[in-house]
Amino acid sequence: MFKKILIANRGEIAIRIMRACRELGIRTVAVYSDADKNALHVQHADEAIHIGPAASKESYLDMEKIIAAAKKTNADAIHPGYGFLSENASFAAAVAASQLTFIGPSAESIRLMGDKAESKIRMKQAGVPTVPGVEGIGAENDFKKAAKEIGYPVLVKAAAGGGGKGMRVVQDEGELSEAIESARREALHAFGDERLLIEKYIPNAHHVEIQVFGDQHGNLFHLFERECSVQRRHQKIIEETPSPLLTPELRAEMGEAAVRAARAVNYFNAGTVEFIFDPDLASLRHGSGQAFFFLEMNTRLQVEHPITELVVGLDLVQWQMRVAAGERFPFTQSHFTQRGHAIECRLYAEDPASGFLPSTGKLLQFSEPRGPGIRVDSGFTIGDEVTHFYDPLLAKLIVHAEDRERAIQRMQAALKDFIVHGVLTNIDFLQAVLAHPDFANGEVTTRWVETNFNWAPPSEPSFEALVAAVLAEVTVPGSRFQVSGSRYQVPGLNEVDPYSPWKTGSGFRMGAN
Amino acid sequence: MIKLHFDHSNQQYNLDLSSAGKSYRAAMGDKIVDIEIIQANNGKLDLLIDGERVIAYVSSDNAKRWVTIHGQTFVLTKSPRARRGGHGHPHAAGELTAPMPGQIRALNVSEGEAVPKGQTLLVLEAMKMEIRVQAPFDGVVSTISVKAGEIVEREQILVKIDHG
Repeated sequence: MFKKILIANRGEIAIRIMRACRELGIRTVAVYSDADKNALHVQHADEAIHIGPAASKESYLDMEKIIAAAKKTNADAIHPGYGFLSENASFAAAVAASQLTFIGPSAESIRLMGDKAESKIRMKQAGVPTVPGVEGIGAENDFKKAAKEIGYPVLVKAAAGGGGKGMRVVQDEGELSEAIESARREALHAFGDERLLIEKYIPNAHHVEIQVFGDQHGNLFHLFERECSVQRRHQKIIEETPSPLLTPELRAEMGEAAVRAARAVNYFNAGTVEFIFDPDLASLRHGSGQAFFFLEMNTRLQVEHPITELVVGLDLVQWQMRVAAGERFPFTQSHFTQRGHAIECRLYAEDPASGFLPSTGKLLQFSEPRGPGIRVDSGFTIGDEVTHFYDPLLAKLIVHAEDRERAIQRMQAALKDFIVHGVLTNIDFLQAVLAHPDFANGEVTTRWVETNFNWAPPSEPSFEALVAAVLAEVTVPGSRFQVSGSRYQVPGLNEVDPYSPWKTGSGFRMGAN
Repeated sequence: MIKLHFDHSNQQYNLDLSSAGKSYRAAMGDKIVDIEIIQANNGKLDLLIDGERVIAYVSSDNAKRWVTIHGQTFVLTKSPRARRGGHGHPHAAGELTAPMPGQIRALNVSEGEAVPKGQTLLVLEAMKMEIRVQAPFDGVVSTISVKAGEIVEREQILVKIDHG
């Protein structure tokens, strides 16, 4: 087993990985940029190495600096987390070439699956159902021709893509040119690769993905599905398992297809095979009718891995390290069952009322819920600055309960106890989704948020909220507020807490002079 | 008695607070409540409002007040004086500002150009996303204050549109 692992990531996932390391008795090395000097993930590590300025390109995406940091600290492996360099085949190869272990699949598996065009061809060969489309074209005319053949609406997406970046839905030929141009620009910028592919757009699609896991000895299994259809800007915000839509037959079929997909690229370690699933096709299907299609494979740990951990009862991150060190994954497919129901909500620092624009600022309050069946994977604490440099994910709130209905109730109660001040969050938005009948009925598709869900924040603050804001004026320690000629007393607050958020407001001194 | 004014979504709320022995009385128009503070600690207020127990979380950030009650958060802006009708916009309607810090990826228009409502004027990249800044109404581009590739701050004025 490894003695020391460098975690080439930041935020909640870096901390999640460090926890697993600590449990396995492995020492940890954090890396950090200028913006993360005081970040929580740095405090969680045994050692920390500064790797450059705030911009990711010059820090968390700089392979040489990260490998040098691992060498300098005598780490024997690197865990990439998700995002950043996690699906970069050259990085995985460079890590191996430096006599370090990359905790993940082989560079070759990453390369094969990372190219959306090439992987699609492979999947077809392996008998994995794929969405009708054309890959390997570049000229606008070829796209036009392909789109006509496939039939509008079509999806133009980056061949190197992921995370919804470099992806455009095109309703008719008039939109095609601008979509190609902007998808290309975004793809070039996000992935350094401007190749695009085109495929049939399935509007009522559900996003159902299968977790796979394998060792380096040929053992490869699936750990069931995650339903990730609640999305905004093509990014998941609520995930759950089991999916309320799958029958046992479909689940087994998709699981087998996912394992076939992974096997086709000699996959080992944790991976996720994403499918587009259309329940209408499932209910109409007779014999050869196809209800699910291969979308892509994420050759890394997934953001939403905790819901699988809770329902299957495995620590995926620990197992990532164990199989990377050469251990066998000592199970068989029949060993795994889904126990209860798990849901994850991603808390983002963003404003759902204005297009989910990220919100930045200093966290004046950050209080996480606790209780049975509640797990919070977060990368922030009170006083931290949420900057525009990185993904605005504040925390993942994950609940586990005996069934779906109780899991939803548990999530609703837990969200009420999650207090975040200083940045806008999507908490109210998440609550509104959870309370919606479409969500209860499992009818949320990947486009539901943009097309069916008209949410607006309450236009008026409650009277109670206004009263509380008024009282804040008099409960400030050391407030010079004069009322009726006498200084206000602060009931129940005898000592001045140096960390109190009350102390930040110079605006409180209004009327002092 | 003190008078406080809070803005929220272009509405102003005016409240009076007075103390009466150990408790307080808050009034907004004809709504009046009596409040007892059971405890106030680290931004958490444990209150009795007309005898009903209410837990409120409150933070302040200059003029901003963050309040969470029953899991719902409101951001209020304390204003120094009562407003007399109407509400001032910080920027004129045709002044488009950067919603967040970022870099100008593409500039699609030039000064003097007529633009229809909804046309993408420029593309801002921030947090690895493309944000399209679009014309809010039919008009003419009167001023472009940024160049392609330029790094802009939040609230920085990017483009000015005049009604055509």
